[in-house]
Amino acid sequence: MSYYYEYTRPKQVKGGIKAKPRRGGLQSWWAERWLKTLEDLDMGARLGRGKTYANRGQVVSLDVRLGGVRAKVQGSGVTPYNVTINIRKIDEQDWKRLAEKCAEPSITADLLMGRMPDYVEKIFDGLGLSLFPSKIGDLDTDCTCPDWANPCKHIAAVYILLGDEFDRNPFLIFRLRGAERDEFLEMVGFKPALAEQRVDETEEETAPIPLPADVAEFWGSVEQHEDRRADSAHIPEMHAALVQQLGRFPFWRGGSDFMPAMINIYKDASRRGADVAVGRQQDAE
Amino acid sequence: MLVLHISEHDNGLFFWGESSAGSVRKTPAASPPRHPFGATKKELMGALQEMTSSKMPGRTSSAAIWLPAKDDGPLPSSSIIAEPSASKTKTRNMPWSVVAYRPADIGETVSILLASADKRILAPGAVAGTSVQYWVDVLHFAGSMVARQQFLPGITSNHAGKHHAVWGPIFVGEDAEQLASLVQRMPASARAMADPGDQSPPSQAPDAVLRRVVSGLVDHLVRKSADKTLPMVGAKKFDSAHDAWIYALRSKNGTITANPADVAELASQIYEWQRPVAAISNFPFRLCFFLEEPIVDAGSKPVTWYVRYLLQSHDDPSLLVPVRKAWAGEIPLQKEAGSGVREFLLLSLGHASRVCSGIADGLKNYEMDGHAVDSAGAHKFLTQEAVALKQAGYGIMLPAWWTTKGTKARLALRPRVKNKKKIDRNVSVLPLSTIMQFDWQVALGDYDFTMEELEELARLKQPLIKIRGQWVEVNPDEIREAITLMKQKASDATLQDIIRMSIGTSKAPGGMDLGGVRADDWIADVLERLSSKAGFSSLEQPDGFAGTLRPYQLRGFSWLVFLSQMGLGGCLADDMGLGKTIQTLAHIQRDRQADGRGQQPTLLICPTSVVNNWQKEAERFTPELPVLVHHGADRLRDKSFQKAAKESAVVVSSYGLLLRDVKIFGGMQWRGVILDEAQNIKNAETKQAMAARSLKADYRFALTGTPVENNVGDLWSIMEFLNPGLLGTRTEFDRRFSYPIQTGDLDAATRLRRATDPFILRRLKTDKSIISDLPDKMEMNVFCTLTKEQASLYASVLKDAEEMLAVAEGMQRRGVILATISKLKQVCNHPAQFLGDNSSTADRSGKLARLTEMLEEVAESGDKALIFSQFAEMGQILRRHIQETLGLEVLFLHGGTTKGNRDRMVECFQSKTGPKIFVLSLKAGGTGLNLTAASHVFHFDRWWNPAVENQATDRAFRIGQKKNVQVHKFICSGTLEEAIDTIISSKKEVAESVVGTGEGWLTEFSNEELRNVLALNQATVM
Repeated sequence: MSYYYEYTRPKQVKGGIKAKPRRGGLQSWWAERWLKTLEDLDMGARLGRGKTYANRGQVVSLDVRLGGVRAKVQGSGVTPYNVTINIRKIDEQDWKRLAEKCAEPSITADLLMGRMPDYVEKIFDGLGLSLFPSKIGDLDTDCTCPDWANPCKHIAAVYILLGDEFDRNPFLIFRLRGAERDEFLEMVGFKPALAEQRVDETEEETAPIPLPADVAEFWGSVEQHEDRRADSAHIPEMHAALVQQLGRFPFWRGGSDFMPAMINIYKDASRRGADVAVGRQQDAE
Repeated sequence: MLVLHISEHDNGLFFWGESSAGSVRKTPAASPPRHPFGATKKELMGALQEMTSSKMPGRTSSAAIWLPAKDDGPLPSSSIIAEPSASKTKTRNMPWSVVAYRPADIGETVSILLASADKRILAPGAVAGTSVQYWVDVLHFAGSMVARQQFLPGITSNHAGKHHAVWGPIFVGEDAEQLASLVQRMPASARAMADPGDQSPPSQAPDAVLRRVVSGLVDHLVRKSADKTLPMVGAKKFDSAHDAWIYALRSKNGTITANPADVAELASQIYEWQRPVAAISNFPFRLCFFLEEPIVDAGSKPVTWYVRYLLQSHDDPSLLVPVRKAWAGEIPLQKEAGSGVREFLLLSLGHASRVCSGIADGLKNYEMDGHAVDSAGAHKFLTQEAVALKQAGYGIMLPAWWTTKGTKARLALRPRVKNKKKIDRNVSVLPLSTIMQFDWQVALGDYDFTMEELEELARLKQPLIKIRGQWVEVNPDEIREAITLMKQKASDATLQDIIRMSIGTSKAPGGMDLGGVRADDWIADVLERLSSKAGFSSLEQPDGFAGTLRPYQLRGFSWLVFLSQMGLGGCLADDMGLGKTIQTLAHIQRDRQADGRGQQPTLLICPTSVVNNWQKEAERFTPELPVLVHHGADRLRDKSFQKAAKESAVVVSSYGLLLRDVKIFGGMQWRGVILDEAQNIKNAETKQAMAARSLKADYRFALTGTPVENNVGDLWSIMEFLNPGLLGTRTEFDRRFSYPIQTGDLDAATRLRRATDPFILRRLKTDKSIISDLPDKMEMNVFCTLTKEQASLYASVLKDAEEMLAVAEGMQRRGVILATISKLKQVCNHPAQFLGDNSSTADRSGKLARLTEMLEEVAESGDKALIFSQFAEMGQILRRHIQETLGLEVLFLHGGTTKGNRDRMVECFQSKTGPKIFVLSLKAGGTGLNLTAASHVFHFDRWWNPAVENQATDRAFRIGQKKNVQVHKFICSGTLEEAIDTIISSKKEVAESVVGTGEGWLTEFSNEELRNVLALNQATVM
């Protein structure tokens, strides 16, 4: 055992990914299950050190790919260590068999809303597959740190952050097991085509509309404006509802918490918007 | 005259103008050619500075505007700028170079737009083009989205690959509909600007242009308010791209400083994060929830309600598709929607389930049809979930009996007045402070509940109960409070309290609504008459009233009598021409007779321009009433005023003097105070309004022809004058009515109407019951006053004439007389016409002031008017003055107008959307034309020849005219105009034969007779 590592403090990192604050330890069952696979590996004190790393933001980058994760974790060394986690993919045939069983709408609805229905795991089990890596052969982890133990605390930190993100986006587990969100959706019976373009790209698609040569049509008339309706400028009681609806930002690295910052901005903006909507001029302009 | 336009270009709004002054400018060939009537930099910046009182830190540049044009040049947006081209060639869009102002930043753009909101006249001589109000509407829309927090933080990249943090609007639900409606309404001028070098016209789709502007405005509004709390950071290196992003979301320019790989990762994370909302906002349908009530009336047994899921199209809101069918693919949706419908539905329903728990059950149902709820669930859906779903952008369809305040049928507390004291009904005024007793009842509509029934309702513990065939929201706590109140002994209230409870301007104790007032005998009668103005019996018109009141005028007169007997104030807001003046005079006459001679006079305040008119109308209709005109430099003061006033029935004065002589007026107890053109006190904080409120009187009336009820703020001021305290203090009023109404609360608007309706009587010419009462043509004299300047010019013309007439004879004498008459008529019209010096026109002519006031009313009620003058120069002055002060397009036809132009003007005026005002010279326009679009005819000066005047009037009053026509003949009191009018109307038969030839007959008068006719009565000068 390398006790001397216990005494060195990791190098401080700014802007790393921080674990979700655990107030009351509330986490989804599937995130819990993910962490349990880690706990089952019997890491001893390294699990606690990994949690501290995750909380402090020692993970400086994290990239989830099909069947694996690449991450950089700042330990006590000069440069961050590279962490690799490879997970055995479920092959295409098996995915298709899974999809057949998952065609029921409520399953997909739950997934799209960020929830993993518990019977999905049963469906996996029923086909002799497992949602989470369970066997030794399912999981292959590696870290460039000098610690001979595997998984080390760096790997553990990455594991914990992954759990946080699964919590928000259960499709990420499918990605680790070899199926992208949209592939899965297609397999269960519908094309997820509509969200393909980002909002800011839509305007480029609109076809040109030439200016009218008719004078009346060109200038428009005041009468046309008479049926305009008043916009409701009601300030909502709950602030930043849209942001709260979308939930946590993926792998947040900011120095301050995302949600409280948003709520403050929305609150102030709302008042300003209401002023403008009813035509109140403000000196601040 | 300048017409301002705003066009989107190069990611900003550009301000530019057309100018009538520019129509003669010729410029050398340039590419694109200079706009022949484009506003110059000086004109444009002058108007903008005047509007905003700011230094205008932005910059002007030359821009190309692609306008519809013929071979002889671009077509003007309005005939204010230039007459439409006579060329027969085809119109096509061509570029013209104009001076355009680009504000320094979007904040300045917002300021200018706010300064132009809801104005037609932006600054003296500057009129808003259609695009101005359009972009103001867009700004209000963007503001409302920010207020409702329909935006998300995001990221964009520009062509140079630089990334910016932005706040982007999210168009879902009603915002998507509003966006579509704004796209429809965008005038092409709003997107017709291009760079000077561009070879083809701009053709960006309105949708893209609008989205860009709304996005820019939303981003600015959020950023601007977030900016206040931003710590100063120099060239800061951020710990992470997330920190850089959060900082940039609040910084002025939004640039993200982070390394490209991190920014790319950030962009994909934002995309991932926003995806559920983007998927919903890009879909052409929205999810709707339809609450179906139980079909079986199960009494007190548990009943089942159902929330059905539907899809509603953004483009066609009437298109509703059951989700069940869309999910099963049974109904093909539009192409782009079909493939994504399942993901959209699952996402939408999934998100909706967070605010409406029942949806989770609906999702377990394979059919995707809806979910069932019990009575408590239905109540929760109606009161909470539906509101939250609506706020989140979902469509909600609720049963018609549900309103934002609960079920339409509601349990309400109702005071029952017990009138023990006998009150003498013959007293002329019943004090509002009279004390009465009442106790409480609980009612549903007309039905009063017994104590036992209420206790039974409270025991059921069902939030929705069907009572007597109607769904009613039941709150056991409120019922218990009400039972406690019912057990109490009778309470005291003043008559004013009772009236306030009856019209709903006071609240009931506890949580329940106030449900009117139940009363017996005369109180019931009073309240009934207040709540339904139609319900009263018409009185006979008073003795000594020299005229005949039409049936609707008798009703209005009776209404005034009723209110004044109650000591209440009322606003008579009939359309112009329906006779507010004579209804008021009839009331004063009756009021005077009812109480004998000993009573106090009534004070009538009106604009200076109609002081004389009131005097004349009183002379004509109520000749027995002594009238004191309190006006002019030699008006009475203090004691002598009080003495003279007490001997009069009516004291007529002006708003100007109300302010100046407020001490004199305030020192008297008036029988009544009447404000004519009461919109003069629409601003409660003005000294005028305060002075009006300070007067002591038994009753108060306001007269106005403009619909005061449409402007909430104005209404308070007028109602506070009429019935002090009735609508509460200004602060209370704003909280209860103004703010909710401004933010679209229809319910508040209904409450306000209910509270004010008893005190406003407004009849329109077009009301069915009125039309039948009115003659097809009504002729009225409009008495105007001379200004001091006019009076001194008049006197000097007269002096010259006297000297010449003393020596002239024969033909020469005839010439002098005719020339003098013509000069005096010009003076009466306007000093600028007489002097021919092209000087300014405002505040120099009594006639012009009155005409302007009347035209404003005409235009506001959507009518059209013809104005005749025998002088072409006066026509020119009228046209310019009306355009510049009212911002209305004015057509002008005179002897020099070509036939082609004349035909075009007539066609233009007759079209529904064409100009509302047509000035014609009597000679050129008095015959032949068909101008039935007009319902008002003004004779600005007189030809003293009824045949000629009637012929002119008949341009409007002829076959094809479907409305009543009002003919207003302008006369300056105390001048030759009045004298001649009197002669003609007193000897009508003589007039027909003698006067037939114009003014020549006046030359037959002796010098003495002439002096009498032409003399100036100084008392009528203002």
